[in-house]
Amino acid sequence: MGLVAVTSVFSDAYGEECFTREVVMADSDKGNILDLNLDRRGFIKGCTAVATALGVSDALIPRMVEAASSAQRPPVIWLHFQECTGCTESLLRSSHPDIGRLILEIISLDYHETVMAGSGYQAEKSLHDTLEKYAGQFLCVVEGAIPTKDNGIYCQIAGRTAVDILAEVAPKAAAVIAIGSCSSFGGIQAAAPNPTGAVGVRDLVSGTPVINIPGCPPNPVSFMGTVLHYLTFKRLPPTDNLGRPLFAYGRRNHDQCERRAHFDEGRFAEEFGDHGHLNGYCLYKVGCKGPGTFANCPTARFNDVGVWPVSVGHGCIGCTEPEFWDTMTPFYERLPDVKLPGGLVSDVDGAGKTVLGLTAAAVGLHAAVGAVKRMAQCKCSGNDSEEEV
Amino acid sequence: MSYETVRVWSWLLRVYHWALVVSITALAITGWYVNAPWTGTTLEGVASMPVLAMRNVHFAAGYLFTGALLIRIYLFLFGNRFEKLGDLLPVTGRNLRNLFSTALYYLYLSPTKEERMGHNVLAGMSYLLTMLVAVFQLISGFFLLYPESSFWQGLGGAIFSSQQQGRFVHHILMWYFLFFALIHVYLVIWNEIKAPEGLISSIFSGRKFKENEN
Repeated sequence: MGLVAVTSVFSDAYGEECFTREVVMADSDKGNILDLNLDRRGFIKGCTAVATALGVSDALIPRMVEAASSAQRPPVIWLHFQECTGCTESLLRSSHPDIGRLILEIISLDYHETVMAGSGYQAEKSLHDTLEKYAGQFLCVVEGAIPTKDNGIYCQIAGRTAVDILAEVAPKAAAVIAIGSCSSFGGIQAAAPNPTGAVGVRDLVSGTPVINIPGCPPNPVSFMGTVLHYLTFKRLPPTDNLGRPLFAYGRRNHDQCERRAHFDEGRFAEEFGDHGHLNGYCLYKVGCKGPGTFANCPTARFNDVGVWPVSVGHGCIGCTEPEFWDTMTPFYERLPDVKLPGGLVSDVDGAGKTVLGLTAAAVGLHAAVGAVKRMAQCKCSGNDSEEEV
Repeated sequence: MSYETVRVWSWLLRVYHWALVVSITALAITGWYVNAPWTGTTLEGVASMPVLAMRNVHFAAGYLFTGALLIRIYLFLFGNRFEKLGDLLPVTGRNLRNLFSTALYYLYLSPTKEERMGHNVLAGMSYLLTMLVAVFQLISGFFLLYPESSFWQGLGGAIFSSQQQGRFVHHILMWYFLFFALIHVYLVIWNEIKAPEGLISSIFSGRKFKENEN
């Protein structure tokens, strides 16, 4: 539907011909009404996109298609805790609908508070039916952090705390996929002073494999790749030490960035809107956190229109990293603030220079005291003082 | 008054010292540049690569720094009697007495200090602390240099949690070396003036002068 709005803008600016072309490109929308039934072309395209993101050989695409189109769709329980639903939104409302539809096509979404039709008792019944019928077989997807403080009362669904729900669902799941930075590492909710004691899934769940797909929101391709990898190879993809799949989080943004040549050449945007910024130079000096952030943003990109923050002139904010809200802020500075008991020191180098100045002053004072003492001694004992010093 | 010459510092310790001086100087300058490049250009089509060059110097100096650190750790364990850890740690009565006597001497509260040919214990402890900081500097540095290596990811991740935290610690520890350099150079000059042992020349020649007891 979003595409229709875009095409009308195009028709105003560039005329009828352009409009027609856009409509042809949007043929899978079937008369501008979003059709949840994915056509075969879209299905294959989605699988291929995911295979590309996974970095697997194209010879494996038929196997993935086969796994994805299997009649036995794996049941999925999608738990929402302390979150904004942004991960779900970005997943299901991608401008090009193949990925979103592919997800709904290959999994059986038995419980998802945002998109399920049922509510109240019906919804909870669906959850418990799946838990019993598919124990050990279903995938559990968690969106949002889990508050643990004060017995977890800060997030309750159907009268039960998030901690309780996760403790019931996770051990029965075949695997848990933590989607988004909140369920992976606690996210914004866990930012200091973390009033609700929010934590990620891995802090609470042991015994069931947990994979983290952090990001705010994560790229739908990274989630899809993990699910398809699981369906095709019957196991989760290999991960780094933080539980993130290597196919998506194996490299730093900085090392794959299209502006990297500008960095090496010393061409920087000194401030937003200046000559360097307008010319697409490196955003390092305006606080880009790409050098500290593992993600596939520069390669997978977002929204099927080939963009990611840096490509549109904004630095990376490091949203896929643990404690990103505490360690990546201020977003427009290179280094975080220093947290001391007395408060924040916003400028570590300024503080360093001050302390270095004070040290130099102390050194000067020490030398002066020594010199004065020596002069006093010389006056008292005459010329033969040298041996006493 | 006559003096005798005592061989104190092995050639390896002197190599370590100067490798550390060179590497820390290079690391501080290039590290500062990499953190906040003071150059900026709008020139395109000219391959001068200043940031790349600075980073390469930083990495090379980092390896020199690592080598120096390894030498010192070796000497702490297997060096001569002036270089070994046992001569520095304030755990024996002899070393504790030396620590307090040196502190009083440095505070101008005592006109003499206990004579010792190797490091006095106060200096020795500050060097030990420096080596400890250097270990963390080294781990955070390699964690940033090899982000995709599972070894450094495991070690660095366990200590610093994320790249950004590692970078932050790496940057703050740089300041320690600046403070250390300032105080170290001052105290060396101060000692050189106060006592006739030839402290500064000893780090070139390895020899110190000891007063003969008559």
